[in-house]
Amino acid sequence: MALPNQQTVDYPSFKLVIVGDGGTGKTTFVKRHLTGEFEKKYEPTIGVEVHPLDFFTNCGKIRFYCWDTAGQEKFGGLRDGYYIHGQCAIIMFDVTARLTYKNVPTWHRDLCRVCENIPIVLCGNKVDVKNRQVKAKQVTFHRKKNLQYYEISAKSNYNFEKPFLYLARKLAGDPNLHFVESPALAPPEVLIDLAAQQQHEAELLAAASQPLPDDDDESFE
Amino acid sequence: MSSADPEHREEEEAPAVGDDEDTGAHVAPIVKLEEVAVTTGEEDEDAILDLKSKLYRFDKDGNQWKERGAGTVKFLKHKASGKVRLLMRQSKTLKICANHLILPTMSVQEHAGNEKSCVWHARDFADGELKDELFCIRFPSIENCKSFMETFQEVAETQKAEDEKESSDAAGLIEKLSVEEKADAEKKDEEKSEDKTVEKESASGKESKAVEEPASSA
Repeated sequence: MALPNQQTVDYPSFKLVIVGDGGTGKTTFVKRHLTGEFEKKYEPTIGVEVHPLDFFTNCGKIRFYCWDTAGQEKFGGLRDGYYIHGQCAIIMFDVTARLTYKNVPTWHRDLCRVCENIPIVLCGNKVDVKNRQVKAKQVTFHRKKNLQYYEISAKSNYNFEKPFLYLARKLAGDPNLHFVESPALAPPEVLIDLAAQQQHEAELLAAASQPLPDDDDESFE
Repeated sequence: MSSADPEHREEEEAPAVGDDEDTGAHVAPIVKLEEVAVTTGEEDEDAILDLKSKLYRFDKDGNQWKERGAGTVKFLKHKASGKVRLLMRQSKTLKICANHLILPTMSVQEHAGNEKSCVWHARDFADGELKDELFCIRFPSIENCKSFMETFQEVAETQKAEDEKESSDAAGLIEKLSVEEKADAEKKDEEKSEDKTVEKESASGKESKAVEEPASSA
């Protein structure tokens, strides 16, 4: 479907609406997928930010247009107007903040008023934090409303691909659909510029003394 | 009284979440996708090194390292050309974090604050266009980091040798061309080689006589 102000692509694409309280990690989650970065600083999203996110599957390339919406009411903009023509959704809450889970029913209600019968994933984010307030066993809303639920961590990447994989499978009606390698094109030959190389070496020397952004004892999965 | 507690009741009702369980509603699919052949781009390459790692790129504007992805880094050697590239893929999504050739001029050095990490510059092609990047890579162990650095340096040295070989081969071609251009000189060369052949035959004749003498004396 051609969405307003968005270029059409010659492979399947879907409007994905992401909702949930402010500070639950919606933008951080999307950014993790887009650039690999983990954004620590909290900047409230104003209105909506739309990001195209591509995946390669065994059934070809697909795209999610991620409509990352404002979680804080004062920055809501058009509010549920952003949900129009949503084809799938993620409701995000923060397992370290009980109130964000209590508000899930409200997000779900507002979403379903506009988008009928679309696949929805409920995500409990920040499960890497030790002192979580909402235990896994306490999460029951998804069963009552027929949502899928994933515990995730945008910080540790735990289950970070699962929401997209689940939604892709539902939209395609294929429970066996899976992600495959993005094609790695052969890098072209590079002409060596000695002056530029010296500058890069100087920059590299300076960069080598800057600390890495995350803890060393993180596990490698 | 505890049985009347709604929260407690909820806890009892909720079994542990199984990842594979589908609690979602049945929705009609909106696209029909057919299975397609997967092309990884690595079909004509052999993996020299394959290690779990985490990649960072240096953000010059913010003067800080930013994560690029966690997954697997490989050195891939092309079966025909012998060229080697570094390819890193993110776990689970299998998207590309880095994709660049290892050139003779490249080198890798240790990160100042972390002995499991090292840094280098590359013209990266991960996004399908060449982009200057300063990369840092971190490994689960010091040994893996050393292995990466050693392989990186070895490959760069090998590529240098390959480049030099290509240069000398080209020089050889030039020599061949110049010889062919001088038709007159060619004939003289042939005559000289014939003379040498004659001399050689004479020498071999003498040698055979020398061998015979001891036999007769016995």
